[in-house]
Amino acid sequence: MSIDARANGRKADAPAFVVETSGLTKRFGDRVAVDDVDLRVPRGSAFGYLGPNGAGKTTLIRMLLGLTSVTSGTMRLLGRPVPAERAAALARVGAIVEEPRFHSHLTGRENLTVIAAAREPEAHARIDGALARTGLSQRADERVKRYSLGMRQRLGVARSLLADPELLILDEPTNGLDPAGIREFRNMIRGFVAEGRTVLLSSHLLDEVEKICDAVAIVDRGRVVMQGPIAELARGGEETILIATSDEERALALLGENRAVASAVAEANGIRVRLRPEVKAEPAADDLGRRLVLAGLAIRRFEPARASLEQRFLDITSRLEEAA
Amino acid sequence: MTTTSATAHLPRARRRAARMPRLVNAELLKLRKRRGLVLVTFALTLLPIIIAYVVLVALHAAEPAKHGPAGGLDNFSGSLYLLAQLGVVAAVLIGATAGAGDIGSGVFRELVVTGRSRFALFAARLPAAFGLALAAAWAGFALTAVASTVLAGSLEAPGAGLLVEGAGWLALVIGLAVVLALSLSSALGSRSIAIGVVLGLELAVMPALLQIRALGSLRELLPVVATDSLAPSALFDGEVAVPTSVSVAVVVVAAWTLVPLAAGAWRTCKRDA
Repeated sequence: MSIDARANGRKADAPAFVVETSGLTKRFGDRVAVDDVDLRVPRGSAFGYLGPNGAGKTTLIRMLLGLTSVTSGTMRLLGRPVPAERAAALARVGAIVEEPRFHSHLTGRENLTVIAAAREPEAHARIDGALARTGLSQRADERVKRYSLGMRQRLGVARSLLADPELLILDEPTNGLDPAGIREFRNMIRGFVAEGRTVLLSSHLLDEVEKICDAVAIVDRGRVVMQGPIAELARGGEETILIATSDEERALALLGENRAVASAVAEANGIRVRLRPEVKAEPAADDLGRRLVLAGLAIRRFEPARASLEQRFLDITSRLEEAA
Repeated sequence: MTTTSATAHLPRARRRAARMPRLVNAELLKLRKRRGLVLVTFALTLLPIIIAYVVLVALHAAEPAKHGPAGGLDNFSGSLYLLAQLGVVAAVLIGATAGAGDIGSGVFRELVVTGRSRFALFAARLPAAFGLALAAAWAGFALTAVASTVLAGSLEAPGAGLLVEGAGWLALVIGLAVVLALSLSSALGSRSIAIGVVLGLELAVMPALLQIRALGSLRELLPVVATDSLAPSALFDGEVAVPTSVSVAVVVVAAWTLVPLAAGAWRTCKRDA
C-alpha cells in the first residue's frame, strides 16, 4: 500500500473538501429520505455523519457512491462531479456500506482478488498489505463463511484499502462489534487520518463519533441541521464555566449582575455559568474570578465545563421534535 | 511514490482492455470455486456419456449378433443429442449462477462502489460462464468422439469434419442456454427463478410448442428449431421437427442472443445496488 504518499499530505491542487453536496435530495414516493443536504467534508479529517436511525444517513452515502439515483441536487467527490466523473472519483474511494458483503464460498484473499479485478491493475499488489494492515494475513486463505462478524468488518476495511483511498466512507462500521473490536476499529480509523486520508463515518452512536471524529454533521429526518468541528458544535458557541464557592447565594447574585454572563444556574456540584457568545472567554473568566475573590468569597472550584456533543445533539433533536 | 502515478499516463482504452480479462478471471474464479456447481456440471456432461458407452459395450459383448459395436456414427449422433440435452441443463445452472451470484451475495454493491461500469461487470460474466459450460460440454464431447471412433468396429466412424461441426454445434446450443439463463438471472436478480424459468422453457414449453402443428411457421421462432436446423446434416438422420432456412435460423439465434443480453445489461445498469 502506498501509505507514504498519503502521509505526505495534501497535493497542492487537491480540493479542500473531499465531499461537497448542494441541495441533495432523495425521495421514495412521497417520503423524503434526504432533504436538501449541503454537506462539506474537509480533507484529511475524520468526519462524522451523525443522526438517529432512519435519518437518511445510508441513503446519502448510497447516493454519493452511485448505488442509488439522486432525485435532485449536485455532488462532488474528491473534487469531481458525480455521476459525470463517477468512475474517476470512486477510483480513490473505499467504502463499507451497511454490513460488508462477500462471496462466502471464497476465501478472504479471493474476495479481495475479485474486487481488485474491478479496480486498477495495481490493486492486486495491495492485497497482501491490506490483509496485513487489518490483521487478517493468517486467516486470509480461509473461506469467508468461517469468519466472525469482526473479521468480516476488517475484511471490509481491507477491501476498501485496495483503492489506496483518499476518502474512506464507512457506514455504521462498528455495528455488532464487541468493545475490543470497537476500540481496535477506532484506532484504525485514527491511523488512516494520520496518513492524510479522509474518513467519512456515518453513525447513530454519539459517543463513537465524539471519540473518533474531528468534525461532524448532525442529521435529522433527512436534513443536516448543523455541521462543523465537534468542539465548536458541542459548545454551541457558548463557553461554560463550573464555579463552586463558600457562599452560593452571594456568588449567584454577583454572577447574575455581570454583563459577560448569559446565565448562572445552581447545580449539585456548583454554579453552571454560561458566557455570552460575543464575549472573549479567557478575559471574562479572569474577571469573574477576580470579582468573586474581591467580594470575599472562597473559590473551591473554577473550571471550564466540557460541553458534551450528546447534550448538544439531544438539544437540537428535541427542539426539532417540538417544532414539528 | 504513489502507485497511481506509475499508471496515470497509460491510455485509458489500454487500461480498460487490461482490466477486462481480470474481471473475466474473477468471474471464472467465483464459478469454479463453487464445488457443488462444478461437480453437478461435470456429472451432467461426463457421467451419462460414460454410462451410455459402458452399457453399449456390455450389450455388444453379451450379444454381438443383436447389438452392434458401441461406437460408430449412429451412436455418436445419439450420445451427442444426449450431451446437448444435459449440457443445456448444466449451462442453465452456470449461466443463472453467473448472472445472479453477485446480486444474491450482496457483492454487486461492492463492485459498483469500485467505480467500474456496470455494463463491464455484466459483460465479464458471459465469457466466464460460457468458458466453464463449454469446458464441461467439450469434455463430454471429447469422450463421445473418442468412444465412437475407437469402438466403431465394423461401423462407419465420425470423420474429423463431422467432429469439428459437432463440437461447434454443441457450443452453439450450450452458448444459447448460457445467454438465456445469465441474462434472465441478471434481470431478475434471482438464480433460482431464472433456473426454473429457463429449464421450464427448454424442457417443457418449447417441446410442447413444437408439437402444436397449428402454430405452423411461427414455430420457426423457437430457438430449438433454429439450433436443430443448424446441426450438421449427418447427425440425427438429417431430420428436424420444423424445417427452416439457414438464414432464418441465424436470425432467430441472433435475436434470442441479443434481446435477452440487452435486457440483462439494461437491468444491471439501472438497478439499485
